[in-house]
Amino acid sequence: MYRIKLDHFEGPLDLLLFFIKRDELNIYDIPISRITKEFLDYVNLIKMLDLETAGDFILMASTLMHIKVRMLLPREVDEKGEEIDPRAELIQALLEYKKYKEVAEELTFLESNQRKVSFRGNFSADEKESPPEYEILLKNVTVFDLAKAFKKVIEGVKPPPVHEIKKINVTIDEQIEFILSMLDKNPELHFLSLVDGMREKIRIVITFIALLELTKMQKIGIKESPDFNNFVLYKLNSN
Amino acid sequence: MENIYNSIIEALIFSSDDSIPASDIVKAIKGIDGEEIQISTSDVEAAIEELNKKYDEQNLSFRIIKISGGYLFATRPEYAKYVGYLSSEKSKRRLSQAALETLAIIAYKQPLTKPELETIRGVNSDYILNMLLEKNLIAITGRAETIGRPLLYGTTNEFLKYFGLDKLSDLPKPREIEEIMKDEDFIEQKNKIMMNMIEENLESETAEEQNADETE
Repeated sequence: MYRIKLDHFEGPLDLLLFFIKRDELNIYDIPISRITKEFLDYVNLIKMLDLETAGDFILMASTLMHIKVRMLLPREVDEKGEEIDPRAELIQALLEYKKYKEVAEELTFLESNQRKVSFRGNFSADEKESPPEYEILLKNVTVFDLAKAFKKVIEGVKPPPVHEIKKINVTIDEQIEFILSMLDKNPELHFLSLVDGMREKIRIVITFIALLELTKMQKIGIKESPDFNNFVLYKLNSN
Repeated sequence: MENIYNSIIEALIFSSDDSIPASDIVKAIKGIDGEEIQISTSDVEAAIEELNKKYDEQNLSFRIIKISGGYLFATRPEYAKYVGYLSSEKSKRRLSQAALETLAIIAYKQPLTKPELETIRGVNSDYILNMLLEKNLIAITGRAETIGRPLLYGTTNEFLKYFGLDKLSDLPKPREIEEIMKDEDFIEQKNKIMMNMIEENLESETAEEQNADETE
């Protein structure tokens, strides 16, 4: 079984550099097919071990496959008429990343040297001469600190929203009864006065539906009203 | 500059709670003793060299170092273990590889936007940027003029102090890409040449043997 020692890689570029170094590949002439396969094997191994596969690795895998395909096709030509190596961008990215990886190593060295040194000015409990007011307010504060503080406030304590859901028992039949009884008292009714006083929206909606039903059943008729947004219901005598 | 000022300079550096630039030292001396006093920053630098020589000769456990654009008293590395015992600062964990790589890129390419950084690293950098901002090793230095006006990042004075640097130009030079390749190429070439030589030797040996055989 093919085993890979699971070193920690900083990212897909780091992993590629590892393969290049381990297999002593020529970075200017990467065997794309081989490196793609090794890369995919690693990604699959991660998945198999149930580690979270970072999206960046998957993106690189597809980039590698894309390059592999372009290698099989005739090369594109740039403005100067020279062939473009599909690997060129990747090589450039690898070299640039490698450059900074080396610098990071140097920084480690500097860091460990500096850790051995303690400064005289290591105190925060000193009584300093009180500077002018502004300096107290603005000392060592960056925009970033302000943004952080603001974010905290905004995300702070909000009153928990209270949602109360009441079930309203209104049925169409009930409202049909209601409409008919209202029409008994007044043979003609304005719609707005019919729904006047109804506090729940749902009740008004059901009443409207009931109204349509009654019209369908030809128990009532509807006609215009001189007011805007209103109409008149009237009782129909069943023939 | 008279020798008396050596002690004054020493006192000024000692009493300062952060690195103090030579220009501030000059200002303090002129402020007290008058503008006519003949003293310059190079005088200050020379004085500090003399002081450090004195500390070396007397085997004192500290010396004056130049860091983050100014001067500061600091203990010598030999005493790190003892000093670190009492200090919680020193027991802090070191930076991760990811942090160092990110710092390296920002240090050289500043000011830099997050997308530019992520292109070089090849990975998402939200977490690491926030961490470095919290530690005050990097700071937001403005916004780029391009679409979206993304934030620009740069290193801080804390960064210089953390790595023991006086100024940004003290950073180790990254080997230019061609140099890195030349190194590897050179090694490859060398190997090839070696292989050729070995092969040639082998061939000439076998040829000789054959000749020897034939002439017998």
